[in-house]
Amino acid sequence: MTPTPQSASSGASPGAPAGAPPREPLSRRTLLRWGAAGGAGVALAPLAACAGPTGAPGPGTLTLGLNRSLVSLDNKLNQFDAAVTVQRAVRQALTRIGPGMKPRLVLAERFEMAEPTAWAVRLREDIRYSDGSPVTVEDVATALRMYGQVNGSFLLGLFPELPTVEKTGARTFLLHTRKPVPVLDRLMANIHITPAAANKPEELQSGLGTGPYQVLKANGGAGEYTLGRNPRYWGPRPRIDTVRVRFVPEESSRVVALRSGELDVVDTLTPDSADQLTGLPGVEVEVTSGVRMCQLFYNFRKPKGHPLADPRVRQALTHAIDGDALINDVLNGSAEEAGGVVPLALEGAVRTGSYTYDPGKARALLTSLGAGDLKVKVIWESGEFAADTSVMEAVLDMLKAVGVRASLQQFEPGGDILTWRQGRAGDWDVIGNGYGSPTGQALTTLQGMYGGTAAKERTRDAFMGYVVPGVERQLSAAATEVDDAERTRKLATVQQAIWDTWPSLWAFAPKTLLARRDRVRGMSLLTINSYDLSAVRLEG
Amino acid sequence: MPKYLARRLGQSLLTVFLTLTTVFLLVRLAPGDPAAAYAGPTATTADLARIRGEFGLDQPLIQQYGIFLRDLLTGNLGTSYSFRAPALDVVLDRMPYTITLAVAAIAVTAVVAVPLGVWMARRADSKRELGANVLTITGQSMPDFWTGVMLLTVFAVLLPVLPASGFTSWSGLVLPTVTVAILQLALISRLVRREMTTALNSPYITVARSRGFSERALTWRYALGNSGVPLITAIGTRFAALLNGVVVVEVVFGWPGVGSLVVRALETRDYPLIQATVLVTATLAILVQLLVDLAYPLLDPRVRLGKAA
Amino acid sequence: MTTALRSAASSGAPSAGSGGRPSAVTARDLARATATRQRRGARFKLWAGTVCTALVVLPVALARVLPLPGADAQDLSERRLPPLSDGHLFGTDQLGRDLLSRVLHGGQVSLTVGILAVLVSGVIGIAAGAAAGFFGGWADTVVSRLLEAQLALPLLMMLLLVVALFGPSVTVITCVIAVAQWPEVARLTRSLVLVEREKPYVAAARVLGLRGWSVLGRHVIPNVVRPASLVVLLLLAQAVLLESALSFLGAGPQRPFATWGRIISDGQDYITTSWWLVTLPGLVIALLVVGVNLIGDGLRDRTRTARLPRGVRAPRTSRGARAGKGV
Repeated sequence: MTPTPQSASSGASPGAPAGAPPREPLSRRTLLRWGAAGGAGVALAPLAACAGPTGAPGPGTLTLGLNRSLVSLDNKLNQFDAAVTVQRAVRQALTRIGPGMKPRLVLAERFEMAEPTAWAVRLREDIRYSDGSPVTVEDVATALRMYGQVNGSFLLGLFPELPTVEKTGARTFLLHTRKPVPVLDRLMANIHITPAAANKPEELQSGLGTGPYQVLKANGGAGEYTLGRNPRYWGPRPRIDTVRVRFVPEESSRVVALRSGELDVVDTLTPDSADQLTGLPGVEVEVTSGVRMCQLFYNFRKPKGHPLADPRVRQALTHAIDGDALINDVLNGSAEEAGGVVPLALEGAVRTGSYTYDPGKARALLTSLGAGDLKVKVIWESGEFAADTSVMEAVLDMLKAVGVRASLQQFEPGGDILTWRQGRAGDWDVIGNGYGSPTGQALTTLQGMYGGTAAKERTRDAFMGYVVPGVERQLSAAATEVDDAERTRKLATVQQAIWDTWPSLWAFAPKTLLARRDRVRGMSLLTINSYDLSAVRLEG
Repeated sequence: MPKYLARRLGQSLLTVFLTLTTVFLLVRLAPGDPAAAYAGPTATTADLARIRGEFGLDQPLIQQYGIFLRDLLTGNLGTSYSFRAPALDVVLDRMPYTITLAVAAIAVTAVVAVPLGVWMARRADSKRELGANVLTITGQSMPDFWTGVMLLTVFAVLLPVLPASGFTSWSGLVLPTVTVAILQLALISRLVRREMTTALNSPYITVARSRGFSERALTWRYALGNSGVPLITAIGTRFAALLNGVVVVEVVFGWPGVGSLVVRALETRDYPLIQATVLVTATLAILVQLLVDLAYPLLDPRVRLGKAA
Repeated sequence: MTTALRSAASSGAPSAGSGGRPSAVTARDLARATATRQRRGARFKLWAGTVCTALVVLPVALARVLPLPGADAQDLSERRLPPLSDGHLFGTDQLGRDLLSRVLHGGQVSLTVGILAVLVSGVIGIAAGAAAGFFGGWADTVVSRLLEAQLALPLLMMLLLVVALFGPSVTVITCVIAVAQWPEVARLTRSLVLVEREKPYVAAARVLGLRGWSVLGRHVIPNVVRPASLVVLLLLAQAVLLESALSFLGAGPQRPFATWGRIISDGQDYITTSWWLVTLPGLVIALLVVGVNLIGDGLRDRTRTARLPRGVRAPRTSRGARAGKGV
């Protein structure tokens, strides 16, 4: 500020009223100086405290830009696709989902079904945590118990039941279930193993694990982590010294930061961002099929006489949607139109039909079914899937074109879309919804979406009110079928049955998109939107 | 003076308390369910009920309020749902970032606006002054999120010289600071100009000039010195407002401060976090106001605190 | 130009206006006099402000009449066309909608919200401020505390909460902005009334037996409405900015309604490829707000030079919160 602002009024200003006090214990000037010094201190302290060490990533540092904040490196509650990559670099599970959705062994060197309800597991011999302590069977048993005690875990929903551990040796144990869980080897990829003594039924803030990296610095509040090589890692030594994980909430900022080299990898891109990054010098965009199903799902709680309770009306409406235009123009070609009721990239998914665009037919069918004056309300939550608003606005226009009066209602995150979904708030007809599939299994997704029963519906827990008893019976039968071929056959049948109920106005599976600087090599993006961080290396 | 201070502090305490109560009620009345945001879309009704119980949200509102007050007295603001850490700690972790941005923005504003205002006062009503005036008004008239996005486009996309997001290096501070400063510039510079014009036309300046003081001393030492009180008031008020979170600018630049925390807390209906944010920012803002008021007698001995408002 | 000359000129200006009689004051002196220049400055601001405002408001008002494609008319084959392409002066957005049409129709929403909000906040602010200033005592305490509390609040967060609470409709957003803005009017009115209260006519009215409320309503408020209303234009500018900030953060009227903030926030995803989606709507907002601010400023300058001697100008606190949108 100004150098000596006070002196004017005290003595030297002839025009000022002479109101100066006769004497002051401290001169105002001294006080002001102190104040200024103190102010500067207060101002600078936070600056010094939070100044980051570096700007652009160094030669041995890989910087990842996540679009959601990683609150901790534990996955008990914090489950979103991209986090898996980082979480598994620190903590590992018995198995993991590898290429082609096949299970691969990690901490287990043997994981086999001994009988329909028991699996024999043997831990690897050479594994230790980053603090040097060995991995024991108790750690696995405790981990399973802790996952079971956590409230509201996304993962628990994937397990028909959590297995129990029966120790059979120093490194061997049996995993028991009451009913057969044929995909247990895939499911166990989600249970991260940590020392039993340190495990709690909540998200662990520490980062002790067996993974290729260990946590050097963690700031869960800001979603920022620095990982360094784990010297005791049992596998091949990771190629990168340091991995920095940053939380960059704005999609446009991630794009800009990748362009400038501030970030090395940005995952879970929107189609628009991928479009902007494709072809830029120094940037590579990776694409794989996605396992997330994005649907415009019908409300299955409509009363009997309502047009939308009639599958023929639901089918007729689908003809109004120009899927090609949505895929190519709105989603920039980075999604696949659904050819089934779950993404075809999932293990066990089959093609059951396709959506056809024919507005004339839609109009004619709707009229002949007595639904000529249909009104449709579409609801969704912002960010439910990439380009959600554009898709919705385009769909609105397409529905209008066949004479359906449509309206949109968008919910902001944190709003009460849940009560609407459950049919406890307002009435709606179509909901925009995305359904992830971290196990890579068609079965888990099918059960989640179409396995509704009357009992579940009593608490409004059936997915959008979808309760078709026949479908549910077929699904349960498939879920406990131990024979792989037979299970696949049963799954195919039930998927066709679901398709014929026309659950969605339209559906698509967004491709998994990731962009990286070209100095990042050795990255193989999996369909489950994750990659093995220890295989990644930096060049140049 | 001590009596004045006590009264002011008492009033401020009451303000903070009423504000907190309002927020406490507002967040609970607003639609949306913390349990749903916490557990994600696949949670069952039973899960949600359990989580609500864990959060203590199944109790009647009045009881929740009682618990909130009791905990407040012990300095416990609850555990943030989304961060699973004490809410106060989460906010205090973010505070340095917001303070940094606010301090930087106010410093830049003052450094540019005060000389600009002085210059405008000396060139009062000239064409150039009018130009400068219109320019600052323009700066103030641009939506801050737009200014931010434009600066980002120019300095991070077209000429990639500055980082787009976050605070990993000092250069990350530049764009958000400039965005905030552009908004404040008009206000401060025009205030300085107005005060200076008044001061420069006062008799004491004429007398001082007649006694041979240099123009420089007249301008900077005497005229500007007399503008101290309103200037400090304005800067202090703006600073307090900035501490309340430059929400939009923080969102645009991914700044890890309290503003972006607030947006996140709202999106997850993280009640304890929202309450902690309000408590911290409101306290800080009121404290700054109080400091500004206390600084008056230092700047101008004619001012007596506690006498005539 | 020296300061000495200026002070001489300003003291001489009032008497130099009458033409006809021989005078040492030449036309050139007159033209250079402070008063003249102040008037010229005010006139320039008024003109420039009117032009800027009209450039935005007229097309917005005439949006329905102008030969434009519909604001919601999509053509997915014409996505993100740059400005000046065939039939699209501002280009098209990500769904092939005409950007100009969207900006103009969005402006109708934004302007309506702005004007209504200013009216509401004006009424609340004048009532509360006048009561506080005139009656003092507990009325003043309550209003002053409220003003202070609002200053300490994370305003935008509260607004977002309230919008979440009552749903994002035009009415709610209008009220929310009005609530955000009333302190400014209240503070100004309060200080004006404080000055007015001590004037002889108030005492006269009391002597004549009028009650407090009647004095306030019939005599004092009419005298402060004019100066207080000057701040209205500045508030309108602020309201437009606030509305767009709310839309930007997601609290705008339901889709597919276009609003300025939403057009920009949607366009933000395309900044590296389609600059116009963010730049042009922002320019339109800025143009309008600059215009309104300039008019408000010009009017205030003119009032100050024409009518009010320096001591009676709007108190400084009124402008203290002027840029209060930096929340």
